Amino acid sequence: MLKSWKLKEIVLMSLFSVVFGIVYLLFLHVGNIWAGFIGPIAYEWIFGIWFIVSIICMYIIRKPGAAVISETIAAAVEVLLGNAVGPRLILSGVIQGLGAEAVFAATRYKRFDLWVLMLAGIGSSIFSFVYGYLLGGFTVFSMGYVALMLGIRILSGALIAGVGGKAVADGLLATGSLRGYAISRPKKGDVRA
Amino acid sequence: MHNVISFEHVSFRYPDEEKWILNDFSFAVQKGTRVVLTGPSGCGKSTLLYLCNRLYPENCDGILTGKIKLLGKDSSSFIPGEINHRIATVFQDPDAQFCMQTVEEELAFTLENLHVKREEMDNRITEVLALTNLSEFRYSIIQQLSGGQKQQIATACALIMEPEVLLLDEPIAHLDPYTAKHYIEWLDQLQQKRKLTIVAIEHRLYLWGDFFDRIIPLNESEEVSALSKRMTSMQSETSFQAIKIETKNFLKSTSFTLQRGEIAILVGPNGSGKSTLLKALCKLLPASGLVEPSFLGYVPQSPEFLFLTKNVKDEVAYGGGYDVDNLMDRLKLMDIAPSHPFAISHGQKRRVAIAAMLCDGREVILMDEPTSGQDAMALSELFQLIDGRAQEGTTFLIVTHDMEFAYCLADSVLLMDDGRLTGKFPAKDVWENDRLLLEHHLLPPKGLMLREKSFA
Amino acid sequence: MKFVVITLCMFTMAFFFDPWTPLVFWVSVLLLQILFSQIDWKKWLLFMLPFFIMAFGYFWTTLVFAKETTGPIIWSFGFVHVTEIQLDHALSLSLRVLAFSSLSLLFALTTNPVTFILSLMQQLKLSPKIAYGILVGFQFLPVIKDEFIQIQQAQRLRGVVQKKNAIQRLFATRLVLIPLLAGAVRKAERSAFAMEARGFTGERRSSYFHVISVGKVDALLIVLFLFVLVFSCTNTFWLG
Ligand SMILES: Nc1ncnc2c1ncn2[C@@H]1O[C@H](COP(=O)(O)OP(=O)(O)OP(=O)(O)O)[C@@H](O)[C@H]1O
Ligand SMILES: Nc1ncnc2c1ncn2[C@@H]1O[C@H](COP(=O)(O)OP(=O)(O)OP(=O)(O)O)[C@@H](O)[C@H]1O
Ligand SMILES: [Mg+2]
Ligand SMILES: [Mg+2]
Repeated sequence: MLKSWKLKEIVLMSLFSVVFGIVYLLFLHVGNIWAGFIGPIAYEWIFGIWFIVSIICMYIIRKPGAAVISETIAAAVEVLLGNAVGPRLILSGVIQGLGAEAVFAATRYKRFDLWVLMLAGIGSSIFSFVYGYLLGGFTVFSMGYVALMLGIRILSGALIAGVGGKAVADGLLATGSLRGYAISRPKKGDVRA
Repeated sequence: MHNVISFEHVSFRYPDEEKWILNDFSFAVQKGTRVVLTGPSGCGKSTLLYLCNRLYPENCDGILTGKIKLLGKDSSSFIPGEINHRIATVFQDPDAQFCMQTVEEELAFTLENLHVKREEMDNRITEVLALTNLSEFRYSIIQQLSGGQKQQIATACALIMEPEVLLLDEPIAHLDPYTAKHYIEWLDQLQQKRKLTIVAIEHRLYLWGDFFDRIIPLNESEEVSALSKRMTSMQSETSFQAIKIETKNFLKSTSFTLQRGEIAILVGPNGSGKSTLLKALCKLLPASGLVEPSFLGYVPQSPEFLFLTKNVKDEVAYGGGYDVDNLMDRLKLMDIAPSHPFAISHGQKRRVAIAAMLCDGREVILMDEPTSGQDAMALSELFQLIDGRAQEGTTFLIVTHDMEFAYCLADSVLLMDDGRLTGKFPAKDVWENDRLLLEHHLLPPKGLMLREKSFA
Repeated sequence: MKFVVITLCMFTMAFFFDPWTPLVFWVSVLLLQILFSQIDWKKWLLFMLPFFIMAFGYFWTTLVFAKETTGPIIWSFGFVHVTEIQLDHALSLSLRVLAFSSLSLLFALTTNPVTFILSLMQQLKLSPKIAYGILVGFQFLPVIKDEFIQIQQAQRLRGVVQKKNAIQRLFATRLVLIPLLAGAVRKAERSAFAMEARGFTGERRSSYFHVISVGKVDALLIVLFLFVLVFSCTNTFWLG
């Protein structure tokens, strides 16, 4: 899969994953403390944050795998820096990444407009929620509460990861430093965008 | 003899620019020769070198026509990284060529790429460091080395691959004069021993004596008259004061003052702490002591650090400066006014940073190696600009390794060695004091020697 | 490999719903930690603090929102009735949080990221392209903070005014975040160029300068961990 990747794309992806791994960890701590007072639902509002790197990387690099791999690395970074969930988190990273990846794959890596990005955020939300539901012991909560959690998580995935991720990447694009990556290519020639 | 590098009718341009950087360009380098590329700053020398080691066109989506052959094969037939251990490169920017943390790791990484056996690695690392006289830096963290030290380490990293071709992009631009002289002599011997092919880029050819077999001018440079010594503009009133500046781990307590309109040159060996001192003065490093005034202009050794905006014009005008157009014109920045400050040549970046600082109307301006990577034209423009500003009362403190430039410009000279300011001397006392010069790795400027000859 | 063992533990734990298993497990992990590793306990407490709070949060939400409402009621205040099963679940969930977090902290505090990545590459055959990509990323870690300060300083040098107001400051961080990421992009590009220039093609290497081997201590720890795992899973049988 990585054959078609340029080295600089891989390094970029890893670097972003590291940067966002830290951001994730910060939010995890914030979320933890908050969750201590109002329960696990506290995470759901900000859950989108944890999907953002896969969306940013995919939006910039636009090659199969960018979402899964970046999310996985970010999760690994979180684990290595010390966090609560431990190595299991890497698996949830993979799953969240897969959620986003699935959406991009469904468009055959051809469309990267806001809607697709939001859908990708939602994809991550759903995947991660199903996973959390199976493993995290949500089974003990009542159905209504679970549905509320899912709803909020989807919203958060679409807004924070989808819209937020696009805003960050577009901000970067405007600085001109993303020349030479796929994101700055479609403007020329290829009329589809 | 066969060609190791040959370009046949090559044209190249960056994807976002209309202008062709290289236009129907042909040249060839024979095995075992020493070739130098020259041309004004921004004419495409570095770009050409990137084409020779195959980093371009792939990594920048550049548009290339014509045929490039490397070591007898078409350049596009190599996969990324494959050719690079046979054609090794020392890049222009000392900050932009390392990927590992310490010198040893960087070298080991290179050897791993070459599939060298583990048992041999240690020996080869020791050997190359001894060869380049850098053994003391084996365990240093690259990030913490000085600009000149990095540039030397980069050469070691290139040599450890035992390449057939060595590409050097202004390899001595950040070296002190004494180290530079040694570097050239040493390279001379090494080339003879290993039958290397050397392709270098250089602005100050006179430093190299008759090292090169062939000069390839990329672009006609205009004739520039040599710099001449300026009239002093020093006024009696003190405009800058540094009292007991000291950093925790390197810089020893330093105090000095500068007069209004004074141009002081700060010189010393590589790694003596010049950049550290300037950063401490600007409060970019935690340092104790007092600096008066505190609002200073500063041109860093790596100019990218300053850039905030999306195009060169905005960048220069950022401080709400005056005289922007005139400055940009004189520093040859008009052509690239709409370009992104990160996507221009190294010399251009430096000039953008200089222009930005000169526009802001600051009273005291510190410059870290403004001369490195500049062609004769830019150097002379820079000289006149600084001279003009000094006459208007601006105070300058300039770090440079260019002795001619220093000689022509300086009112006074600050000497540094090993983190300590040796002292502040009137310029003329320094150039004739052989002991001081030797101790600080300096060479007497050519201008002075010429003058002495004509007196004799 | 520590990593594999710990993941294994986590998975097994996830399937146990009684409060005792995680409790036993947590205590034994702590014991192991005391016995075998030199950990800065202050740091450990600091890291654990949020998890204690989180455990508490889990505890009471499970109590209140749990869907099992059968079983004998043990406490009740107001209209909230707490049944034994609920209490069991709540305790199990929150203790599990503690067990997980202490386990992963043990991992994080005793593992050097660089060694970890190298060993992933050498033992688990992770692609060198990714491994070195991450390594370069890690080198960016200590630099991030410096970069952050540097960008602010550069902006100050160029005459950007610092905002006094806290909210305006928060908005101003946005001005720093984008340049920070842009810096990361540039750093990535440079590093990639440098790696390529050093002859890196991304193919598997045949020898390594730093060889990471699984030592005796590691093996011993693995055995101990497995023992603890088995012990805590089977405790229900022993303790009745
Ligand atoms: N990444 C880039 N994208 C677009 N244009 C670029 C890029 N890099 C350089 N340029 C432009 O290409 C031209 C040649 O740049 P190059 O770096 O090759 O110059 P140079 O001859 O090495 O100059 P110097 O002596 O200052 O280092 C310059 O005019 C510059 O503006
Ligand atoms: N962040 C740092 N931490 C520790 N030591 C450092 C750091 N930065 C620089 N040094 C050390 O301080 C010394 C002086 O470095 P500095 O960059 O000031 O040298 P310089 O005089 O500017 O040299 P050059 O002419 O090569 O640019 C060097 O020996 C370097 O190793
Ligand atoms: Mg150049
Ligand atoms: Mg310096």
